[in-house]
Amino acid sequence: MNRTKKIFKAREMTSFLFLMGLFIIVGILNPSFMSVNNVAACFNTSVVYTLVAVGMAFTIFVGEIDVSVGSNLGFVATVVGSLLRDGANWGFAFTVGIIIGIIIGLINGWGVAIMKVPSLIFTLGTNGILRGMMYIYTGGAWVENLPKSFKDFSAVTLIGKFTVYYCCAVILVVLIHMALTRTRRGRYFWAVGDNAGGAELVGIPVVRTKVMAYVICGILSAAAGIIFCSRIGFVTSASGNGYEMKAVAACVLGGISLSGGVGTVIGAAIGAVIMASISYLLVFMGFSSNYDNAITGIILITIVVFDALMQRRAAVKNRRARLVARTAAGTAKEAGE
Amino acid sequence: MKNLTKKRPAFNWTAFLVLLLILEFVIFGGTNAKFLKPALLMTSANDFLPICIISIFVTFVMITGGIDIQVASIIGLTSIIIGVAWQDFGLNIWAAVLVAILVAAAGGALSGFFVAYCGVQAMVVTLGGSFLYSGLALLVSTLSSTESYQGISGFPASFRWITKYKVFGVVPFQICIFLVLLVIAYLLLHKTKYGRKVFLVGVNQSAAEYSGINSRRIIMSTYILSAVSAAIAGVILTSYLGTAKSDLGSGLTMNIITAVVLGGTLSTGGKGSAIGTALAAVIIGLLRFGMPLCFKVNTQYLDIPIGVLLVVVVVGRSLAGNPNVIAKFAKMKERFKGGSAKSGSAEA
Amino acid sequence: MSGTEEKAAPLLSIRNVYKSFGLNEVLKGIDMDVMHGEVLALIGGNGAGKSTLMKIIMGIYTHDKGELLFHGEEIVQTRGTAAALAKGIYMVPQEPLLFPNMTVEENILIGFTQSKAELHKELVETMEEIGWNLDLSRKASSLSIAEQQLVEILRGILRHAQLLILDEPTSALTFDEVKSLFRCVSDLQAKGIGIIYITHRLAEVFEIATHVAIMRDGMITIQGPVGGFTREDLVKGLLPPDAEMTKHAGAVSVKNVDYSAAPVLELKNFSGYGFSDISLKVYPGEILGVAGVVGAGRTEMATTIFGMDKVLGGSVLLGGADITGRKTKQVIAAGLNYVPEDRHLNGLFKICDVAANTTSSALFSKMMGSLFLNRKAEHDVTQKYVDSFRTKVTGHDQLAGSLSGGNQQKIVIGRSLSTTPKIVILDEPTRGIDAAARGDVYSIIHQLREEGVSILLISSDMEEIMELADRAVTMYQGRINAEFRNDDINQDNLMAASFGILEGGADA
Repeated sequence: MNRTKKIFKAREMTSFLFLMGLFIIVGILNPSFMSVNNVAACFNTSVVYTLVAVGMAFTIFVGEIDVSVGSNLGFVATVVGSLLRDGANWGFAFTVGIIIGIIIGLINGWGVAIMKVPSLIFTLGTNGILRGMMYIYTGGAWVENLPKSFKDFSAVTLIGKFTVYYCCAVILVVLIHMALTRTRRGRYFWAVGDNAGGAELVGIPVVRTKVMAYVICGILSAAAGIIFCSRIGFVTSASGNGYEMKAVAACVLGGISLSGGVGTVIGAAIGAVIMASISYLLVFMGFSSNYDNAITGIILITIVVFDALMQRRAAVKNRRARLVARTAAGTAKEAGE
Repeated sequence: MKNLTKKRPAFNWTAFLVLLLILEFVIFGGTNAKFLKPALLMTSANDFLPICIISIFVTFVMITGGIDIQVASIIGLTSIIIGVAWQDFGLNIWAAVLVAILVAAAGGALSGFFVAYCGVQAMVVTLGGSFLYSGLALLVSTLSSTESYQGISGFPASFRWITKYKVFGVVPFQICIFLVLLVIAYLLLHKTKYGRKVFLVGVNQSAAEYSGINSRRIIMSTYILSAVSAAIAGVILTSYLGTAKSDLGSGLTMNIITAVVLGGTLSTGGKGSAIGTALAAVIIGLLRFGMPLCFKVNTQYLDIPIGVLLVVVVVGRSLAGNPNVIAKFAKMKERFKGGSAKSGSAEA
Repeated sequence: MSGTEEKAAPLLSIRNVYKSFGLNEVLKGIDMDVMHGEVLALIGGNGAGKSTLMKIIMGIYTHDKGELLFHGEEIVQTRGTAAALAKGIYMVPQEPLLFPNMTVEENILIGFTQSKAELHKELVETMEEIGWNLDLSRKASSLSIAEQQLVEILRGILRHAQLLILDEPTSALTFDEVKSLFRCVSDLQAKGIGIIYITHRLAEVFEIATHVAIMRDGMITIQGPVGGFTREDLVKGLLPPDAEMTKHAGAVSVKNVDYSAAPVLELKNFSGYGFSDISLKVYPGEILGVAGVVGAGRTEMATTIFGMDKVLGGSVLLGGADITGRKTKQVIAAGLNYVPEDRHLNGLFKICDVAANTTSSALFSKMMGSLFLNRKAEHDVTQKYVDSFRTKVTGHDQLAGSLSGGNQQKIVIGRSLSTTPKIVILDEPTRGIDAAARGDVYSIIHQLREEGVSILLISSDMEEIMELADRAVTMYQGRINAEFRNDDINQDNLMAASFGILEGGADA
């Protein structure tokens, strides 16, 4: 197939065009939006969402879900924040954060892939446990007084107006995408979500792949926690609450099917930008931020309903065409044409 | 021909939940006698009553194989509609309540329609619904002259009466509402033809269609039921707090799902009970009440025991269903029997 | 028979293999050999242990006792299919397990270690060699079942499989597709690849197999070259040793059907997806057989009558009343019920009890209560069918999924009768159930006929039609092409018409 054609047929392309359309419409309605600063801000603010959504995408690829990402993010932010506040060096604090992410991923992977507990329920449980541990760790107090250098680092830009964090996130997403599409093992994630039974039959280690997906999700959520800590500058006991829902929404907006096996991490990243931009864009369109959730909800529902209807129509059409081809009348018609 | 009748199963999940509940009373009551004071116990129920009411109806949804995570946002929507309709549009308070419940039902119907008739995954639709309805709640609150963070208060006494009145001077009226709803849910799910259809659709939707059951309508109806129950919870919460706010109940989703799963509902559908869910909801509620009271556990830590409870229960259940484990247990039993027999003969 | 085989060590030999799941012993000492270039047909009812044995060969399950030798070497037992695949064993499952969202090429090449370019070249060469044409960039979800099977077989060939396991490959294929599959099997056989061919159809054994093995209840009852057995031998091997062949001699015309009466069901130029221009009449108390091959449009016709798909033309009259395009519930209420072909997908509520299964179809009627479920009616209805069908259950609360295939089928038939229909459409009522249960289902059908219920019997088993039907029609490519009565209902006629060789039939 033609390469450019392939790119345009990809599901995440629709999401990208949707995002661009959003920017253009807002730009026409309010020309003051069309500045490098504003557009860059949309991308920069999405960095935490991006990482969590890409992590979530892995668990969705394999046909599962991880709703503990929000607490994972919050817990890691708490631990890393307090370490930095108490004067630990950055490398040490970040390593601890990432290790926590790995452990959380392993526990979720164990429960879902090995113990075969439905993923929504198991991660709901770990979500509660992590949230509670966060309170224990801080005693309910906020983590404040973070080193100024750490907070300021979130504003440092690398390319144009794009922050170091966002650039790193983009590079990471591209690398992950290449690893997934160009390597043999990368395709395993989709294969497992597409058809677990079939994956087993061709020798794909289903359990290991699922555990791997959770570990990656844990690591990326932990990384999101560290960046969250740096960007916001303080951590409350409610930090990260609700991020699981936003991440799922970002994945869906990015063209990832919740039944598994479909979509790309690039799509998840684009979906994250859409999620993050909506409130920013609404301000420029003269709406208050009160419209955020309602509009997010409408967009989300419209996209999935439209997608489901199209898929179903195609399936019915295929089935009927096949049935008609089997009948004598169908064969005769074909021969006649 | 011998007449075959139904037999009781040997192990019963409901019995296990009752045991867990009794255990709570023994442990908490033993640690702090205050826990057993009826008045205090009843008052504590106010805090978890919305979870109880909603989870018994979300059970219906999960039995059909779906999930409903928009109910929490419907609580806030109901609350703010009551407030705005009454204060800013001058509606009679009961008319306002009716309007709120109807809006909630319409919301449930919309999501149910997308799930049942368009074939979208329930998780995604209700996720979108949770954004949409919480967003709508916020928008409704902007129609009011009152700042949204303050909440609308000053409701008439007749409305506050719902949660002020105590039956026999002890039992808060809203507990009676819950019990009535529980009885309704129980009868509906386990005694009516509708309930039977809900189960059949959850077990095998295609086979239900071949049995002449309109499975789509059944699925859609369960989302309406759960939305209406959320609206009722919203009314009670508004009356109890005396304030209408758009974000009431926003953190309850996880608690509700936990209660339904702990209650023995199969997340793949086809199995579940109203009583089980209600018991599980009460167990969770009492845990939230008893832990701080008896062990001075900060209320904010309570997610841990509930999370642990959920994980232990689901992992345990998964282990119990594993044929290898069953075989191992059977062997252990045999060995135990054999061992005791041997020791018996040695003694002889 | 098989061409280039040398009398050397067997390709695969299975020695004394045992396997239990929990307390349930599934394989009880299996011994089996497969040689190079041999097509071993493996036959057995559901639950005989065929698929467990295959999964052990593939390494999905581990066996408890015994040994598996491939090329004389013990297959190292690891959990997972990697070892078996590396050695050159490949299984094409009954339901092709493709990745619907990937392309054909991705589907074939996934799980390989070599570079993509190399594999692509090899794949193209292989396809040219066998003469298959498949667009490699198509999504797997757009493939027909036969094409999906080709993809599966290609996967196996590309892995240089020396032993190919085909699990009921023809069960979902049309006639032409079966022919091309058989061609492919003989090609592979000529290359010296050993094939285990699992099937339910005895005719296929004689068509393509060189050897045959029959499994029953976890053991092999018959084994050897095909030439050494007759059809009757094979049937005997499938039956429990104590069971006698249930012959309903002269089943036809115990009671004569009154063909002058008004028909119970009448189809007039009925058309839909998968069938067209069907006209037929079923008379009171008559069993009308509908023969044909799988894919001839019989099931589609039945489900369209039953309100499951769109009617494209014509009409359906039930007792004179027009029920064309009605909803399933209304069709049932009007007095027609249907026993689906796929019991597991469309018939059974596995985690529901026997009572709920039996009464599920009757829920709309006032008999089962208006708002509340009438428990007494539920009990009575369930008891009635448990008794009259001699269904083996431990109680009304036994879960349907824990019953044997035959008893499950009795439950599904009971369900369709609980609505007291004037006519029942039975779609492959004895597929996948053992001989004893088959006998029971036949007596149920006879009993119904006695009671005056009309039956439309769809079956691919010609013997079944011969034994039961008062009158038979055959469907070929979506149309009725022949009708037979009395002595004309015989294997030769039915078979010839089903394959479109005979037209019109021998009308009385």
